[in-house]
Amino acid sequence: MFAFDGGYDPGQASHTVLLELRRTIERHPAVQHASGEPPGQFIRVVATLDPVILGSEADEGTLTLRWYAGETADADPEFAFHYNESSDFDCGWHHDPNPHVDGWTHYQERLSADDDYEYETVSFDTLQPVPLLWGILDRLETRLTEH
Amino acid sequence: MTDKSGAELWKEHQSAFDRVRAVAVTVSEPKPADWIAEQAHVAGNTARDHLRRLVEMNVLRTTTGGTATRYEPDPLYTRMQALRDLLDNRTRDDLLELRGNLQEQVEEWQTEYDADSPSELRERAAHADTAEATREMRRTAND
Repeated sequence: MFAFDGGYDPGQASHTVLLELRRTIERHPAVQHASGEPPGQFIRVVATLDPVILGSEADEGTLTLRWYAGETADADPEFAFHYNESSDFDCGWHHDPNPHVDGWTHYQERLSADDDYEYETVSFDTLQPVPLLWGILDRLETRLTEH
Repeated sequence: MTDKSGAELWKEHQSAFDRVRAVAVTVSEPKPADWIAEQAHVAGNTARDHLRRLVEMNVLRTTTGGTATRYEPDPLYTRMQALRDLLDNRTRDDLLELRGNLQEQVEEWQTEYDADSPSELRERAAHADTAEATREMRRTAND
C-alpha cells in the first residue's frame, strides 16, 4: 500500500490489494484456482470457478478482478469484477469513468458476445476491496441463480 | 441494494481475525479501529484486540498524531508479502527471466527519459550487470 520510503505508489498499492483479493477469493467454495498477472505487479487476478456452485449450468466460468488504486492515496479506486462463462453469457460490476451511466458504478451484462451490453446503475455499501468482493460474489450467485 | 447477504457470506468463510486483517492491510490511508470494525463486521473491542495483535506481529503499524490511534499496513510486511508471492510461485529460471525483462524495461526507460536521477544511480549501483548478462546467465544455466 505504501512505497518503501513512505510515499504512495499506485502500482504497488494496486498490487497489494490484488494479492489480498487473490488470497480472499480462494476462500469461496466455487473457486478452484486464482492467479495474478503479470508477476510482481498485478493488474488483475483471474479466478477459475465452478459455475454450478453459483447456480449456473455452464461448464466453466472465470471471474476477472481488476483493481487500480488511483493516482493518490485518497482517490477512489477504479475496478471491474467481471464474470465470463462457457455459455457465452458475461456480466460484471464496474467502477470507472464510462459513457453508459451517470457516475462510475454500474452493472453490465450480455447474453452472448454478439449482443450489446445492457448497463444499469448500481451502488455498493463500501469501496473497500475485500468486503466489496464478498458483496459481488453474493450478487453474482443471485444473478446466476436467476439466469 | 445493500450487501447484507454479502457480509453474511464473508462471515461464513473468513474469521473475525481474517476480516480485520484483510481490511486493515488494504487501506490506502491510516484508519481508526472503529472504522476498520465497521468494514470488517466485528465489534469495536474485537477489532481493537485483533489490531493490537497485528501490530505485535508487524503486519500493521500505528500512526502518531490525532486523537484516535490509526492503523496502516507495515510497509516492510507489504513488501515481504509481494516478495513471498514471487518466490512461492516461480522457479529460479522464471525469476531470472522476470529480472531480465524488468531490467530491460528499466534500461528502456533510462534511454527514453535520459534519466540522471539519484534513484537511477542507485539502480545502476545495485545491479551492475545488464539484461543481456542476466539472459546469458539463464542460457548458461540451461545448457
